[in-house]
Amino acid sequence: MTLNLALIGLNHKTAELDTRERASFHPEKLPEALRELVERPGIQETMIFSTCNRVELLSRVKNSAQGLESMEAFLREKSCIDGEQLREKLYRYSEQQAVRHVFRVASSLDSMILGEPQILGQVKSFYNVAVQAGTIGTYLNGLLQAAFHAAKRVRRETSIGEYSVSVSSAAVELARKIFGDLRGMSILIVGAGKMGKLAATHLRATGVRSVRVANRSPQAARELAAHFHGEAVPFEELTKWAARSEIVITSTGSYELLVDYARAQQIMQERKNTPIVFIDISVPRNVDPNVGTIDNVFYYDVDDLGAVVEANLQERRKEAALAEKIVEQEVDSFCARLHSLDMAPVVVELQTRIQEICQVELDRFFKKAGPRDPQERRELEVMISRIAGKIAHPLITQLRSTDHDPLQQAAYLDTLKRIFKLQKDSES
Amino acid sequence: MGWILQGALALYAVGLLLSLVGFYRKRQLFITIALALVGCGFIAHTVFLTLLGFQRRHFPITSLPDSLCFLAWSLTLTFIAAYFRYKINALGAFVLPLVSALMVLSGTVWEENHAIPPLLQSRWIYFHTSVAFLAYAAFFLTFVSGVLYLIQENELKSKNFRFLYFRLPSLQVCDELLRFSLFAGFILMSLTIVTGAFWAQQAWGRFWSWDPKETASLMTWGIYLVLIHYRLSARWRGRRAAYISIVGFVSAVLTFSISLFKGLHTYL
Repeated sequence: MTLNLALIGLNHKTAELDTRERASFHPEKLPEALRELVERPGIQETMIFSTCNRVELLSRVKNSAQGLESMEAFLREKSCIDGEQLREKLYRYSEQQAVRHVFRVASSLDSMILGEPQILGQVKSFYNVAVQAGTIGTYLNGLLQAAFHAAKRVRRETSIGEYSVSVSSAAVELARKIFGDLRGMSILIVGAGKMGKLAATHLRATGVRSVRVANRSPQAARELAAHFHGEAVPFEELTKWAARSEIVITSTGSYELLVDYARAQQIMQERKNTPIVFIDISVPRNVDPNVGTIDNVFYYDVDDLGAVVEANLQERRKEAALAEKIVEQEVDSFCARLHSLDMAPVVVELQTRIQEICQVELDRFFKKAGPRDPQERRELEVMISRIAGKIAHPLITQLRSTDHDPLQQAAYLDTLKRIFKLQKDSES
Repeated sequence: MGWILQGALALYAVGLLLSLVGFYRKRQLFITIALALVGCGFIAHTVFLTLLGFQRRHFPITSLPDSLCFLAWSLTLTFIAAYFRYKINALGAFVLPLVSALMVLSGTVWEENHAIPPLLQSRWIYFHTSVAFLAYAAFFLTFVSGVLYLIQENELKSKNFRFLYFRLPSLQVCDELLRFSLFAGFILMSLTIVTGAFWAQQAWGRFWSWDPKETASLMTWGIYLVLIHYRLSARWRGRRAAYISIVGFVSAVLTFSISLFKGLHTYL
């Protein structure tokens, strides 16, 4: 049995941004494009997925070759990309491969940043657009639901999306590994560098108690403090304010060391040895890296944050191996569900069941009406058997007419089985 | 009745296995199930000890196997309490191996109807022994949290973000558990020494006789007192406190086991 499924597309791995831009669909024009595509030869249901990282067309088709050809022609016309160039960058999947691809995309295994969480929402919104446009039927609907299920399992059963993969959020992660809960912590931002601001924004979002800003220019300090709803403190009192903060982020353009070893020791004395983290995002550095050797002082520079990100990515890649297994299971179970729809036994049983009902009624009639002559008896039996056949016929024709649509067929088979109390399972 | 204890051991063992899997694969689900199993095991264990007490008409800790069994019970109790207070997923992987080992050890040397030494026929045993074992269990947690602290601190300071960095709790949480178990253990240990002294007065006619057990317990108590003193004076946090917690625990192990070899306190 074939799945009648086909997908073409290009993504960040196969095509550069320029090509992806030209291939992408404007959100407003998407419903129209969908309605146009579904009219193309061989296409029965379709949806389009178009973000900055990928453009994909997914369809239920009459046969794969024709469907792929139609979709490619459609994309060529819409994107005005040269045929040869487009062919090189497109990937084409059909049948089980297409199922797997959709599942992997939804589970964020095909994303530029592995495990990033937005993709599932994006898939859902493009699915909704296609539903609104009326180009999705029961089959793609079933496929997408299965894809959402797979994606949710991946989220739940792996920690693929857990670790921060940006330098500024790595600062937050490190602070958490030291302080646990960051509520009640105070941050001191020294300088007004962009990266420092970004890290502070991430920290602010965790609910820290206060943000203080020190800058050589009091004006700049006040502005940045206002941005974080914090407080500007005098640059000259750096030591004092550092001692009152748990997290110190330095991000200045200065070439001098703002916190050297001796000053850090002084700070620790004032803090009564409670832990402090220096996150030094400036290049050249503003804090002596050796302060990290003092008890309860933790020091990280840009490279260290980069190392956290690298370690986290590695962790995500490990989790991805697990996620691939889950996706494989889900693909198998989806395909198995479709393959289990062998109709033959159901047809036979349906016929027998109707025949039985008629036979029971006939026997009752003979019992009540007394003996009949054999000729009449035979005629009655023939008539009853014809009625049984006529009742079963449209049901079976209808069942056969859903051959091209496995999911609808599954639903139909299920209904029949329930109405006529047929076998629970036709898999045997 | 033995089957109840075996059931408890089986639950602990499966709980340990799931804790290790959950630790390795970082899955909350495994940790939660492990905790539920350990909780059930603990209930079975408690039922067993209660029944044993009724059967013997005496506090059910009068021999080495009894002691090991009760120590496992105390450890599980403190483990469950610590988990609910601090939600440290890694804790089970570090505490439950000892619980299971003690249970197995206790089972292999178990003796059904041993005679109860006449010296132990005293009401003091209920209080003195209970607080003593809970103190040991608390100090074990202090030790574990100190070790976890040192490992995590090493990961953070050496900037090696590896296997354990991802799996161990934050330094803050380790330090809080260390502090809490330290104070709890210290109070329990003080009570143990005081009740022990009264019992000794009753049994041997003297409050204190510098028996090896008494000496060792005083040394352990002193080490923890020093740690508490420096903690409160706010100088020894984190790493230094963690080192002392390890020294203290070695001393506590010595205190627990010394009476196996000599002295008045030979029944543990």
